[in-house]
Amino acid sequence: MSLSTDGDSSEETPNLLSPRRHLLFVGRRGVVASTVSTALVLLVIIGLLYFAPGGVRVRASYFNLHDMWVAWNGDPSKGILAIRDGIWTNVWMFLVSEVLVLLFGLALAWTRITKSAVLLPFRVLATAYSDIFRGVPVLLVMFLVGFGLPALYSNLATVPPPVFGVITLTLSYSAYVSEVFRAGILSVPNGQLLAARSLGLTQSSTMRRIILPQAVRTVIPPLLNDFISLQKDTVLVSVIGGVEIARSAQIYQSTVFNESGLVLAAGFFLLLTIPMTRLTDLLIARDRERRLAAAR
Amino acid sequence: MRNLRLTLAGLVTLSTMATVSLATGSTAGASAAPTLSSCKTTVTSQEHTKGKLTVATDDPGYTPWFVNNTPSNGKGYESAVAYAIAGELGVAKSNVVWVHEPFDSSYEPGPKAFDFDINEISYTAARAKAVTFSVSYYDVQQSIVALKTDAIVKKHSASELKTYTYGDQIGTTGLAYITNKIKPTHAPRIYSTLDEAVLALQNGQIDAIVIDTPDGQYMASAQITNAKKKLIATQVGQFPSVGEHYGLLFTKGNPLVACVNVAIKALKSSGKLAALQQKWLGIYTSVPTIKP
Repeated sequence: MSLSTDGDSSEETPNLLSPRRHLLFVGRRGVVASTVSTALVLLVIIGLLYFAPGGVRVRASYFNLHDMWVAWNGDPSKGILAIRDGIWTNVWMFLVSEVLVLLFGLALAWTRITKSAVLLPFRVLATAYSDIFRGVPVLLVMFLVGFGLPALYSNLATVPPPVFGVITLTLSYSAYVSEVFRAGILSVPNGQLLAARSLGLTQSSTMRRIILPQAVRTVIPPLLNDFISLQKDTVLVSVIGGVEIARSAQIYQSTVFNESGLVLAAGFFLLLTIPMTRLTDLLIARDRERRLAAAR
Repeated sequence: MRNLRLTLAGLVTLSTMATVSLATGSTAGASAAPTLSSCKTTVTSQEHTKGKLTVATDDPGYTPWFVNNTPSNGKGYESAVAYAIAGELGVAKSNVVWVHEPFDSSYEPGPKAFDFDINEISYTAARAKAVTFSVSYYDVQQSIVALKTDAIVKKHSASELKTYTYGDQIGTTGLAYITNKIKPTHAPRIYSTLDEAVLALQNGQIDAIVIDTPDGQYMASAQITNAKKKLIATQVGQFPSVGEHYGLLFTKGNPLVACVNVAIKALKSSGKLAALQQKWLGIYTSVPTIKP
């Protein structure tokens, strides 16, 4: 298969892999058809929720705007902590964790890829590490870190729970991210390495200037996926006593027996993650276009 | 043919009227204050499983509310109260069925597999919008539990109380007492279960747990030990009553609550409830009172 035929065919026939629906529904009829089908699907979804046997109870329990407002602002006289105060715990936790995960994950990947004989014990350790922390649920790591570390070292007892949360998320997600980095580095053709070395670059500067820039570009979408997952997992700090957005919503729930705060918390996470998911899709699409352009 | 139609219509109208009047008759009978003797007959028709009184509680159930985590043994205050209510309503002990219902799901909307839930659940007006509560079967005071070595054991004046790190189970009135009455300067640690709060107390991650007096007494006198099984916690004192009480939890609008209330009132006026409190919770009257 020559490169030129590949380029020609993508211009003439519809590319079924890209979302070019206008080729399937052409002109005014297409607009009408898509509007009607979208409206129908929305109506069915809303109808299923609205007319469900428990619809009235669920609307009062989960979608009550007044309850959402009280949960958002908190009410100390009833023991209700404000959701808006809990949010910052989640935000700073994932910001700090993501930086630490990038650094630690890259270091792990680098360690596993080196071929140096001296580094063998570290290679074995790094492999064992990624096996263990990809295999153990984050919730359990959270318990073990949050209650286990202060039990081991009593001077850690005064450390606030979100710090243990950051440690846990870094431990778990570095294992995933190191595998993403490793896959990215291994995807760079070996010729790049050989060419760089033959130009006289050292092993480390080959890695830094030639291999890593190409690897990182490839792995940005899966990295962002892991970060979206990490952002959501910040709620797990609640099990070791940290008061964050989901726990604030739960406090409202168990105090007033109303679940609207949980819906509010879920909405907040959507606000955080949807821009990330859109950005990921955009980067994937752009990367795909660039590769196709290179192929032409 | 036409006559037949008219007759049919007449019959339908008559039977509808009869059904409606029967139905209104029976609701009127239930809404008028029931007596213990009338309840013995109405209860059977109102039960979740006919002929059985299905009582729910959380797993595990703690001393002194339950003994050996076995609600059906009749030991412990809540177990004894459930059987005493059944007795007042003429339900045989063998017809009382226990089921497990976690606190977090007990108040969720939707049908439930129990008649009532007895699980140290405090009545609040806000909660009563989502579920129906019985009258009080126990009036509660909050207390402080801490390690014997913690500063709070000696220093607990109103201003000193604000300086400690507290921990509690989510949704408890102890937690509400912390944020509402004590108003500490450090944010309290909030755990999913009391066991985790106890773990944090043992680790020294929190200074104290605020919990109702009987539960706190059990924690300090039996539950919190070190590696050598030595008791390391103490009940520092209890706070003055704020009118808090425990109620049995029913699904919203469950008509059975009327008869159960009659039974609880009968137990109160006959002194049986006080006797059960003395038997299972009697040792908790000697805890000193401190001011928040």
